[in-house]
Amino acid sequence: MTSLEAATARPAPRWPASLTLVAALAGAVGLTLALGLPAEAEVARVVLWELRLPRLLLALSGGAAVGAAGLLMQAALRNPLAVPELLGVSTGGALAAAVMVVWALPVPAALQPLVALVGAVCGGAVCLAAAGAGRGPGAVLLIGAAVSTALQAVLLAVMAAADRLQYDTLFRYLVGSLTGITWDHVGLSLPWLLGCAPLTVLALPALGVLRLGDEAAAAVGLHVGRARVAVLGLAAVLVAVVVGPCGPIAWIGFVAPHAARWLRPAADARLLLPWAVVFGALFTTVADLAARHVFAPAETPLGAWTAAVGIVAGLVMLARRSTS
Amino acid sequence: MRWRWAVVALLVAAAAELAVGRGVDWPHLDPLEQRILIELRLPRLTTALLAGAGLGAAGLLLQAVLRNPLAAPELTGVNPGAVLGVLAGMQLGLVPADSAAGALLAALTGGACGGALMWLLARHGSPVEVAAYGLLGSAALAGVTTLLLAYQPSRFGNALRWLVGSVDGRVWAHVQTAWPWLATALVLAWLCSAALGVLAAGDGHAAALGVPPRPTRAVALALAVALAAGAVALAGTLAFVGLVVPHVARAMCGSDLRRALPAAALVGATAVAGADALAQVLTVLVQSGPAAQRLGVPAGAVTALVGAVALVVVARRSSHVEVS
Repeated sequence: MTSLEAATARPAPRWPASLTLVAALAGAVGLTLALGLPAEAEVARVVLWELRLPRLLLALSGGAAVGAAGLLMQAALRNPLAVPELLGVSTGGALAAAVMVVWALPVPAALQPLVALVGAVCGGAVCLAAAGAGRGPGAVLLIGAAVSTALQAVLLAVMAAADRLQYDTLFRYLVGSLTGITWDHVGLSLPWLLGCAPLTVLALPALGVLRLGDEAAAAVGLHVGRARVAVLGLAAVLVAVVVGPCGPIAWIGFVAPHAARWLRPAADARLLLPWAVVFGALFTTVADLAARHVFAPAETPLGAWTAAVGIVAGLVMLARRSTS
Repeated sequence: MRWRWAVVALLVAAAAELAVGRGVDWPHLDPLEQRILIELRLPRLTTALLAGAGLGAAGLLLQAVLRNPLAAPELTGVNPGAVLGVLAGMQLGLVPADSAAGALLAALTGGACGGALMWLLARHGSPVEVAAYGLLGSAALAGVTTLLLAYQPSRFGNALRWLVGSVDGRVWAHVQTAWPWLATALVLAWLCSAALGVLAAGDGHAAALGVPPRPTRAVALALAVALAAGAVALAGTLAFVGLVVPHVARAMCGSDLRRALPAAALVGATAVAGADALAQVLTVLVQSGPAAQRLGVPAGAVTALVGAVALVVVARRSSHVEVS
């Protein structure tokens, strides 16, 4: 692991990093709630309670979940380039939504996120079934990419049959956005996320062992293939819960674990998890702030902002790895 | 003997491509149906053949010269770059939406830039590592494409062709711009194939035999970019054609480039023509749905599905696909 060696050579980070992060998170939350509130008290109360609070909650919890999922994937596949988008989850969710809209299936509006969620879980399941247990991490990554590409092609084929109005409806499912999030969406996602949290913590020891390499992990007594599929399945559910209501918000699952690793270079998955979670939440909240305010009154899709940041971060990381 | 089968397969695919689809009742053709055949289906077939030949030959060149069985136009940044070039040119108004020459130029520029970027970032890695980098780079370029679409979602309908790959609605004007370019590149590649075959054996061998490795490799990469970008400008990205077809060609007639290159072009043309014929059959089949009259199933969706299945089968069977 060249990145690890290069990273340990850096001076140890200063202790207030956690404080800074918490302060930044608090600042982002405060700005999200307070910026541009209407003057009238009654209107402000409604805006705050019915629009901003659910949106903020979903940004925080969704970002945290995707950040954790990215860390799980990178650790389980021992590959810093593994991203949740390659599990077929995002595309599966988008595909379910596209089929629903284009064929005008009679699904009540309240159930639509649920259908997208089911599609996302199915996409992940197809990917994991194709990859199978007992494969090496590289094969899993390649197979995941192949299945994701195929799902993407089906999605585009479905989109080809959509008309202009349907494009606009579907656009958020291609780019990802938090527009129009209500308490219903939060009520749908939050229980799943809370249910997944203890499972994630339970999976951490296995990740620590997987880090040693497949042979060593098997020698210690871990069933490598099963453990890997279980962890990837958990990551798929975490991402799917966010994809359901919001669409695929790209690159958070890639950037958050890397930011965590950049801050705590020597840590293993157990220590990295809280950092990845906090970074994911912070990143999503800040990006959503930008989405709402930079081109105000027009709102840009949240996914466009996260993609812009993620692309730069990814290219910087590639360049660093290729020079080291 | 194998050549004969390949030619028979090509003829069958071409005949199927001409025969299936809407609007023509075989075998009694009235003048309108003859015009459909000559002005719509024949250029469509030619487009499919040209694009398939270009992508197959480009993939073979890349795999031979980079000595990487996973080097394909879509994994080395060439195809995503070309798509991005075309879309950027159109969205920013530099390329008129229906100018074949402009699309070719934009695709060339974008493909060369994308390929050069991935080459600079990932040239030192092992084959599978390069592929992983390529996946990330493709994801990054696809993200930029998404950003472009977010910038002007109303032009989204036109963009789908380039994203998924389709030979729908191509007429003789498009073919006339593209065929001299692709044919020249193919003939040049075939003329150079002896030298490139020596290069595939290793830089040291090539130098000992009097073939300067670096200039030869540069020429081969330029030819591959020219072929892939020409195909993308004509038909969009047809996923997995550039990855799977070269392997079929090599299995058919060995890895001697002088024979493998024409074989790759032949197999690629067969694959795309066959995929488009299949896509048209599917289009007729799904036409009963309310939304499906508008546009057909794109050929790229078929190649992506078939290619993904092939890739998954191969990756599951081979035990040595690993990423460090």
